[in-house]
Amino acid sequence: MIIKKPSIFIYTNEADHAALKEICAGIEEEGVFFELQEMEKSSLEDLAWNAANDSMLGSGIGVKGDHIALQMRGLDKGSNVQGYQNPTREQCRKLGANSARAIKKLSFK
Amino acid sequence: MTYIAGVDIGNSTTEVCIGEADLNGGIHFLSSSSCSTTGTKGTLSNTHGIKTALKQAMSKIDLDMEDLSLIRLNEAAPVIGDTAMETLTETIITDSSMIGHNPSTPAGAGQAVGEILLIDNLSRGVLGTAYIVAASDSFSYEEVAALLNQSADSLDIAGVILQADEAVLVENRLHKKVPIIDEVARIDKLPDGVPAAIEVALPGQTIRMLSNPYGIATLLHLNAEETRTVTPIAKSLIGKRSAVVLKTPGGNVRENVLPAGEIYLDGENSTSINLDEGAEKIMQVVSAVGNIRDISGQSGTNVGNMFSRIKKGMSEVDNIPDSDIHITDILAVDTLAPVLISGALAGETCLEKAVGIAAMVKTQQLPMQKIAESLRSELHTDVKVAGVEAVMASLGALTTPGTRLPLAILDMGGGSTDAAVISEEGKVIMTHQAGAGELVSMLIETELGLSDRHMAEQIKKYPLAKVESLFHMRMENGQMTFVDQSIDPRFYGRVVLLTDEGFIRIEEEIPMEKIVQVRQEAKRKVFVTNAFRALQKVAPDHDLKNISNVVLVGGSAEDFEIPEMLMEEFSNYRIVCGRGNIRGQEGPRNSVATGLVLSYAGEIQ
Repeated sequence: MIIKKPSIFIYTNEADHAALKEICAGIEEEGVFFELQEMEKSSLEDLAWNAANDSMLGSGIGVKGDHIALQMRGLDKGSNVQGYQNPTREQCRKLGANSARAIKKLSFK
Repeated sequence: MTYIAGVDIGNSTTEVCIGEADLNGGIHFLSSSSCSTTGTKGTLSNTHGIKTALKQAMSKIDLDMEDLSLIRLNEAAPVIGDTAMETLTETIITDSSMIGHNPSTPAGAGQAVGEILLIDNLSRGVLGTAYIVAASDSFSYEEVAALLNQSADSLDIAGVILQADEAVLVENRLHKKVPIIDEVARIDKLPDGVPAAIEVALPGQTIRMLSNPYGIATLLHLNAEETRTVTPIAKSLIGKRSAVVLKTPGGNVRENVLPAGEIYLDGENSTSINLDEGAEKIMQVVSAVGNIRDISGQSGTNVGNMFSRIKKGMSEVDNIPDSDIHITDILAVDTLAPVLISGALAGETCLEKAVGIAAMVKTQQLPMQKIAESLRSELHTDVKVAGVEAVMASLGALTTPGTRLPLAILDMGGGSTDAAVISEEGKVIMTHQAGAGELVSMLIETELGLSDRHMAEQIKKYPLAKVESLFHMRMENGQMTFVDQSIDPRFYGRVVLLTDEGFIRIEEEIPMEKIVQVRQEAKRKVFVTNAFRALQKVAPDHDLKNISNVVLVGGSAEDFEIPEMLMEEFSNYRIVCGRGNIRGQEGPRNSVATGLVLSYAGEIQ
């Protein structure tokens, strides 16, 4: 049996490091685990949608360059819960926190 | 054909009913409409709203306003409702002696004692003294963790207070775990070098040491006298997930009782009562006074200011000198208002005692005749001021299927609750009581600490639901609803109002149960109290048992729960009580307008 920690998946493609770090900090502050994975060339929508569907928790984030998006399982591809182009640090932190708050069934920041 | 319009100008809505009179004096109802009243009831600015409503109603039957041969206005009672709120207590923190709040993610658990040391001054710390380190948000979580780890061997760091929301991030990077409190907004107010105790509760629990006076005494080594002075601090920290208590010599939390003042009632048996006595006592005195000529407050006190504010507001709209405005009835309601504690460091609030008052203001006769004249010249139609409002409302209410004389009506509007009883001989007794929908909105606004009245009005009108996932929500009655299309993420995890046009999000983080409780309590406090008060006044021999039928009309009778509340209460008196259904189709609205058209038939016969 393969035992994995329940975690939020973050699929990246040539991610902006500063943005990615803030997203991770946002999730960590909420006390939820996350896993990072660099993916082959694909669109932001695909990254986020796949991450959400692969995650046991049903919450995923896509980061492509300086574009970020939050997706949840059950939503259509492309209809991201939240997304930014060239986000500020604050926005990255909140998007990360929200991916965790979605699982905890808390309202978004 | 003769087309007749009945127009009812209310405190908040203007209602119109269009009827057609045939040659034999029979009336056929054709259409109706309503829109918000423009300006204060009974002033010239009402004409704008009247025209809008008339146009609406006439266009429904493909006719123009010019086709009307008669417009009948209500002889509005010269009473207008107003509301005011006054807090009776205030809580003040002196010398920044405590922080107690519920950050969503504090870190670590347990309590710690030490001197406050700002992180900039970390190098000044000496070995052998325990420290609580305070860091502003100009330091990132990595910097804070690095600095603390560096000094871990040379300093005894017992706990950390952060300004940013980064407690877990810092804790995960510390080699030596300590309790960490975050989201302390006014960290700059923390005094350097003062002994302090901090506590973070275990997950799922609330703090236990700092919410106990002896716990504070143990941690900060207080003597018996000092322990006594920290008792209010302990009390105000009950139920928090994290807290900081500082040992400042003059520091304290004080509850001040504000000088509330006396209410003077001028009537058959003139008397006075102090606002401190509470709503129940005040209402007893109000009913004992009998017919009230005027009510005023002790000048220079809160209640005095409150009453003069109401009178002043009225005189400004009506251009009537203050002395001609009389408050003829009040409804006082006890309430609790969450007020920001002055001197607090993290935006803590405290529930303060308050009294909400609705007042019935009697002015001179309202200039209805002037409104009629201006309508006449603008529309070139005959306009008549016809009939007393309560009589018209009763006439309209009688069109509800299943009613007969004698009948009592309870007209619950925005500003006032009016009651009338018509006997079998057609004799009408009526009364106007202060307090209705607007007071309910005000109570909801203050008790929930909402930022605007509009939101409170929405909460009053619509049921609630909590969006629990993107595909389902739980209604306030526990029922679950699933949806096909995912719910907008903006509503995720939120409490929303279910309106006809979709959801409205409630910004404040208040549990749904609490909102429901406050809403129902506010409605009960105002409408149940007032219904009894009003009906007792008009009932034969002032005994409710002499009333057999009550029809609820007016805007607040449309509410989704008020009629049920009243039905329950009245069933104890064997009274048939229910929401009116004017002409069998309008619901509880439009009774006065309908009555105005009906009374025309009576006149030509």
